[in-house]
Amino acid sequence: MMNGDRSPNRRLANLMRAAQAGDTDSYARLFEELTPRLRRIIRRHRQSRGIDETEDLVQDVLLSVHAVRATYDPERPFMPWLLAIVRNRLVDSVRRYARHAAHEVTVEDLAVTFSDESANIHTEVHGDPDALLAAIQTLPSGQRNAIEMLKLREMSLKDAAAASGTSVGALKVATHRAMNALRKASNKF
Amino acid sequence: MARDTDAVIRRLAQSVEPVRPLPNPWIRTAAWLAVSVPYVVLVVFVMSPRPDLVAKASNGRFAIEQVAALTTGFTAALAAFASVVPGYDRRLVAVPLVPLAVWFGTLGQGCIQDWIRVGANGLVLRPDWLCLPAIVVVGAVPAVAIALMLRRGAPLTPRITAALGGLAAAGLGNFGLRLFHMQDASAMVLAWQFGAVCVLSAVAGVAGRYVFDWRSLGNGRGAAI
Repeated sequence: MMNGDRSPNRRLANLMRAAQAGDTDSYARLFEELTPRLRRIIRRHRQSRGIDETEDLVQDVLLSVHAVRATYDPERPFMPWLLAIVRNRLVDSVRRYARHAAHEVTVEDLAVTFSDESANIHTEVHGDPDALLAAIQTLPSGQRNAIEMLKLREMSLKDAAAASGTSVGALKVATHRAMNALRKASNKF
Repeated sequence: MARDTDAVIRRLAQSVEPVRPLPNPWIRTAAWLAVSVPYVVLVVFVMSPRPDLVAKASNGRFAIEQVAALTTGFTAALAAFASVVPGYDRRLVAVPLVPLAVWFGTLGQGCIQDWIRVGANGLVLRPDWLCLPAIVVVGAVPAVAIALMLRRGAPLTPRITAALGGLAAAGLGNFGLRLFHMQDASAMVLAWQFGAVCVLSAVAGVAGRYVFDWRSLGNGRGAAI
């Protein structure tokens, strides 16, 4: 399909037009073509970030493209439309990163405002991200995916359900069970 | 993680459903006006048009102010619809500032003329608590309509989009208000009506990040307006 389209912009526009009409194969091809481009763009802008975060951002952009695919006008060039979404998601990720960084500084300051004993207990319970990540890896795949999408990547239930191919209800149950398991595991850290 | 990305692509592709592309911002603005203007006309008739409306329509300053208010509403709606389309020309967002400046300038000129004609008495501000709620009532349906339509777009600049949507509805609301509300002193119109439009736009802007958010988006299904 669309093999005659040599211009990448035109080819991507045609794939998106077919995807808007519900063509599953064109949609998959579109995303497969976009993914390496997105990785390059994101690595160029976020050089200090690791591979995992780059992939998280790539997935975030793909989900965003999926959510707003109706805003693409097939008569207009595809790349400016895509790049506007990428820029927006990159800026949001910088804000999220800054918020998390600010939160980490606050945790470090706890000893100043509370007694050392309280601060140390707090840190012992919640302060070991490596142990938490290890605990997440031990979860069953359904629960692990739910935690990664809803808690780590902050996706909405609808997006996560679309991405995982499960129902919103099943995701809620998986998240509830995962949180219980992590709570139990955190007592052993 | 790359394997996860492949899985996300597979799942998205499997779940894709047909969507109708959103019409361009000009057509969406026309659709919004088609819903909003009949409602504003209905409210004006329910409230009874001012008895001197025909005479006022031939008054140059009143006509300029009304055209500026209407154009502000129209261009703000156009800019709001453009702001939710990725890749659209961002300069469109500044376009409503032109009629807004004309509107403000005309009111300011009216204040100066009143001051020259009757002195400081021409600039006296009295309480006129009807303006803000009346603008809200006249602009209610336009506001709800534009909010629902904007939520079908991409929340690239939630605060700006919401402020523009608020300006569109409030501008149209103020246009309707002046067709039934007998208040023509420039200082009063500037403070209570133009001021109310600015306040409502600012409030909408603040609320924008709660109304237009990536997390609240579905998967893009459904018919587009």
